[in-house]
Amino acid sequence: MKEAVKEIVCQEEDLQPGEMMSATFGRHDVVVCRASDGHYYAFLDRCIHQGAELSKGKICGAPEPTDELGEYNFQREGDILRCPWHGREFDIKNNGCMLANEKLKLRNFKVVVEDGQVALTK
Amino acid sequence: MGNTKENANLGLIDTDIHERVMYEELLPYLDQPWRRYITDAHWIQEKHMPYTQPAVAGVDRADARVPDGRPAGTDLGFMQEQLLDSLGHEIGVLTGALDPSPSSMHGWYEMATALASAYNDWQIDKWLDKDERLYGSVHIAAQDPAAAVKEIERVGSHPKMVQILLPIDDILWGDAYYHPIFEAAEKHDLMVGMHHNEPPLHYGKWPKYFIEWHTLIPVSHMNQVTNLVFNGVFEKFPKLKVMMIEGGFTYVPFLMRKMDQQYKDLRHEVPWVNQMPSKTIREHFCFTTQPLEEMTKKEFMQILEQMGSEEIVSFSTDYPHWDYDSPTEALPPKLDEELMRKLLSENARNFYPKLQKKEG
Ligand code: FES
Repeated sequence: MKEAVKEIVCQEEDLQPGEMMSATFGRHDVVVCRASDGHYYAFLDRCIHQGAELSKGKICGAPEPTDELGEYNFQREGDILRCPWHGREFDIKNNGCMLANEKLKLRNFKVVVEDGQVALTK
Repeated sequence: MGNTKENANLGLIDTDIHERVMYEELLPYLDQPWRRYITDAHWIQEKHMPYTQPAVAGVDRADARVPDGRPAGTDLGFMQEQLLDSLGHEIGVLTGALDPSPSSMHGWYEMATALASAYNDWQIDKWLDKDERLYGSVHIAAQDPAAAVKEIERVGSHPKMVQILLPIDDILWGDAYYHPIFEAAEKHDLMVGMHHNEPPLHYGKWPKYFIEWHTLIPVSHMNQVTNLVFNGVFEKFPKLKVMMIEGGFTYVPFLMRKMDQQYKDLRHEVPWVNQMPSKTIREHFCFTTQPLEEMTKKEFMQILEQMGSEEIVSFSTDYPHWDYDSPTEALPPKLDEELMRKLLSENARNFYPKLQKKEG
């Protein structure tokens, strides 16, 4: 059986909650994100729209959907990745789904945290 | 990112690049008293909209800020690295950042005229003379056509000035009052480039939300196209062409059809218009692609077919703004190579007389 590929991409302390960094995993450029709850997530560092490097964007929150016109309820600070170009919002904690259209999502990688090290596997 | 080689092979001509000046850079090009209105009296460009572009870094691509912290578009070296070199541009046409935007000012046209001259000199010095790929736009204070013509006479014959820039705000430029500007354009082989600034396109006002305004920007472009055609601008200035910048092109089939139908009914009101508006549009306009809607190849081709021409659309990035389009990602996949060549290069080259001269 083929052995799973596993590569360390950073140390746990390299990222605080709400931060991200670029890294490489095999031949892929990836963006490693640490969500508000401290968990790590990794995505291909290439926006599914026009290919911008997501790691040059921003981790932030987003106004949650509402039934009330005029209501801005800004939530989830640290869990939303916004692209540096057109600003599309991707949910780090929900497989990188786009907030405006959940059918579209970023390509994601499995993350394992062991002994203070953050690794990606395939 | 991008495919430098492919773009280089196609001879990429980018018809909308926004270089940006910091006001202090204009000072050496301004005489007194104009200079002191910036240094002592803190003049700033008037702005009207209640919102900013709500992307990650306001109006700009978040990755286009100059590494030393200066705003996007202010540094030639960084623009070369991030755009011109990395994407393999053959030519880029500079369109300014509408700040200053002399032709947008609602008064003090003397200051506007001084700012336009200073901006042109700065643009020539710092950009056009520094990178052979870059071509420029003549900035004027069009509210004072006599002063504007003087400025066109002063810098319009520069071999790298390809067009006169008219912003789209609340003035319709087809009125006879502005025709001296078009006459001067023809004289110097310059085309006109129209780019929206802050058009109050919701019944003279701005809507509640940026998303509404931004969706309907093409309406402000349609206003200008309709106005120029029905004011007989092209019958009077047969060599003049207009590049409609950053309004996209998907509205054009609608507008052509609507104008033709209206012309059949109402020709008597505008007897100086002597051919079908759609024909005039095909002969005298070109439309930049950005911001491109996501389309399939089939949808894209249907729009071109309805325009009756593959020659009046030309690619633009809008670098370094947030709604930038990538030359390798924004167009639908698998367009024929010949069409790609037209969109990315030939159409713009055929549009600007000074670029044709360059090739020859
Ligand atoms: S490239 Fe990411 S939102 Fe457009």
